[in-house]
Amino acid sequence: MKVTVDEDRCRGHGMCLTLCPEVFRMTDDGYTIADPEEVPDGLEEAAKDAIADCPEQAISEID
Amino acid sequence: MAEDLTSVDFFRDGRLTDDPYPFYQALRDKCPVSREDHYGVTMVTGWQEAVHVYNDADTFSSCISVTGPFPGFPVPIEGDDITELIEQHRDDIPFSDQLPTLDPPTHTNHRALLMRLITPKRLKENEDAMWQLADDILDTFLAPGEGEFIKGFAGPFTLRVIADLLGVPEEDRPELLERLARGTHGSAVGNADKTMNKTPLEYLYEVFATYVEDRRREPRDDVLSGLATATFPDGSMPEVGDVVRVATNVFSAGQETTVRLLGTALKVIGDRPDIQRRLRDDRSLLPNFIEECLRIESPVKGDFRLSRVPTTVGEEALAAGCTVMVVNGAANRDPRRFDDPDAFDPERKNARQHLAFGRGIHSCPGAPLARAETRVGLERLLDRTTGIRISESHHGPAGDRRYQYIPTYILRGLTELHLEFDLAGGDS
Repeated sequence: MKVTVDEDRCRGHGMCLTLCPEVFRMTDDGYTIADPEEVPDGLEEAAKDAIADCPEQAISEID
Repeated sequence: MAEDLTSVDFFRDGRLTDDPYPFYQALRDKCPVSREDHYGVTMVTGWQEAVHVYNDADTFSSCISVTGPFPGFPVPIEGDDITELIEQHRDDIPFSDQLPTLDPPTHTNHRALLMRLITPKRLKENEDAMWQLADDILDTFLAPGEGEFIKGFAGPFTLRVIADLLGVPEEDRPELLERLARGTHGSAVGNADKTMNKTPLEYLYEVFATYVEDRRREPRDDVLSGLATATFPDGSMPEVGDVVRVATNVFSAGQETTVRLLGTALKVIGDRPDIQRRLRDDRSLLPNFIEECLRIESPVKGDFRLSRVPTTVGEEALAAGCTVMVVNGAANRDPRRFDDPDAFDPERKNARQHLAFGRGIHSCPGAPLARAETRVGLERLLDRTTGIRISESHHGPAGDRRYQYIPTYILRGLTELHLEFDLAGGDS
């Protein structure tokens, strides 16, 4: 599973940082990025929670 | 000698109601994390420091997020780790059953429940409905060519949008809207001298409890049935009260705040003909204009946290049990983050880095809703007028305007905004 954050949509709420800190991190500008984009094994549910709970719908699964 | 601004009582001194920004600046200049003199509240006025506090929910509890120092924590605080003390007493703090005051893991579950109520699909349908809702109100509001914008448009529009979002049946809306319009303005929250009511929206509770119970007994094909049957992430069914609290929270948190945002937007449009012209010429500027409105006048002045353990924010050491106010409105004018921070620049590149919606696990879940409402409202106002002006008879001439702001330490925004309109062809 791979995820990405749409930088135009992200407003830096940071929900994803809390729900899945292994994948998402905050940049110096206060926005989040997926780093790594590849979700480590066992964290798929956490990543899906981050996608579902993003207030801006900025996170999506990529192939 | 000039008065030391940092010694003014932020929470009770009416002099800061009209313009709190010099006070914020004075505090920030002293230190972006500094204790104010009157109640010992640690005021966070720097952007980076504010982001830090918001993103550290392990260290900072939200149990006092809504009320801060009034009435404050119910018992004296002692010790280097007050995690247990918070759990023992959190139910005695006002609004303790509301989403903003919850901490994980309860918060995580209830917030997820909210996200199941305002799904992307629901938000899209709601946004589609906003255009008609706006026009219905504008039909009456614009006709005289002048009017008071807060009660004449912003209030009724935001109430109708939320009623639509939550699927309140058409036949029930007039009564609900009428009772809420009477009751929600000038609420006691954030007013140190008014009594704290634990549940100021009791009427809404009753109405929504009935909806949820009805739909659980007999689900229909409507939005309220979706709300009534939404489950926690682990699949368990919330109690009726849990659903009702989350739903009424959308009203209490989403209405007054959006009204203030709309007020700021129209004040800028009326006060700044140059900006109005640019927006009329190029509507694609609207989204960034709205972000700049949120930055320059954060509708929520700030939010409170309580430190569980000793910690450091910026360069300041905080003990356990510190009441912290993260001042969104101050962080949004931190010159270390925003160049020339007191200037309104609709094309400011990093306007959207503002903290008007907070950050972290408590960041405003209604942010996209508020932006959509404001954009739709502004689009229709610009479509249906050729000119919008501030009423000089109410607010004075350009350069010497008088505006009144809500006198609370939580909300920031105009109490009234009198406008004059030149109507576009179809409306005149």
